[in-house]
Amino acid sequence: MASYAETHAVTGPKTYFVILMLLIALTVVTVAAAGINFGEWNVVIALLIASAKGSLVALFFMHLRHDKFNAVIFVTGLGFLALFLIFTLFDVNTRKTVLPGNLKAPILEFPGAPLNKPVQPSTGTALGEALPATPAPPAAAPAAEHK
Amino acid sequence: MGTQVSNAAAGPERSPFLQSHFTEMVQQFDAAKIGMWLFLVTEVLLFGGLFVGYGIMHASHPEAFKAAHHHLDRTMGALNTIVLLVSSFTMVMAVWSASVNKKKLVVLFLVLTILLAGAFLVVKYFEYSHKFHDGLLPGKFYTHQGDTVPGQFLFFSFYFMMTGLHGIHVLAGMIALTWLLRRALRGDFGAGYYGPVDLVGLYWHLVDMIWIYLFPLMYLIS
Repeated sequence: MASYAETHAVTGPKTYFVILMLLIALTVVTVAAAGINFGEWNVVIALLIASAKGSLVALFFMHLRHDKFNAVIFVTGLGFLALFLIFTLFDVNTRKTVLPGNLKAPILEFPGAPLNKPVQPSTGTALGEALPATPAPPAAAPAAEHK
Repeated sequence: MGTQVSNAAAGPERSPFLQSHFTEMVQQFDAAKIGMWLFLVTEVLLFGGLFVGYGIMHASHPEAFKAAHHHLDRTMGALNTIVLLVSSFTMVMAVWSASVNKKKLVVLFLVLTILLAGAFLVVKYFEYSHKFHDGLLPGKFYTHQGDTVPGQFLFFSFYFMMTGLHGIHVLAGMIALTWLLRRALRGDFGAGYYGPVDLVGLYWHLVDMIWIYLFPLMYLIS
């Protein structure tokens, strides 16, 4: 009977141990890197190191480097996650506010709004701050069209 | 006819672990593995929703997230990262031991993996009880006093939902590992049959991988 080990390449304990040491080293590096101020690059560096660690786990511990078929399945899944993330970020970054359009009264604390300050409905600007050059139309008007 | 093919390919003895709808062990193994990978993709998307939510909230409230993350203990987080990495190593060693027919080593490495998973949850328990004591809780349950930066409840909403869901996965992994251990003690797993060890291993590595991303996002904001 052909066992799985005979038909598929199997990685040995030595390789696994080297990978474990690399993973622990990268953990130390990521903690050290977080202590240095790279400004906005800190998040990027942290995520790059995390991705390097994730790739090591996937390629060696999960044997994806000898398993092309399942690698395609997994990477396709990651691709859909990337679509989800990228299009959500497009949406969030191109809006002035994530407040719902039919909001009628100023509110406190809403995701995307300045915290603990009442915000203008529909524009999301804090009350008391200068409004945009072209003042937004009353919120009731566009909201009424939906009803 | 199917039986004849399998007899020719697999010899006279049909493995007691080979289910009737498969012709040979390798086919059964590969089919099960595809199923496991599809399940792992659904897991990635399950956690993905939380990661995307975290990204949006972190981007809109950077000060609150930065201030809130100082309540976490970096040493505990790093310790737990290393505990999970080592447990991934012992898991893959259990798979390797089975594939080369070292049945006693399978038991040893499964026990080590279960112990490390338990250690992870014990550290998590101490972290959680510290947060509960200080009122660092999600949403409206947040009662921590003396904050200078508002909105820190947002961070703890994500902290508890993401590490909580991850913790549930660790717990589920421990149950699966215990089941494997019971079967390994019975001597089920050897070079001819170790599919379940391999599949639980894949799940365990994914749980490890998710923590690899959670650790910098939760503990290392700077």
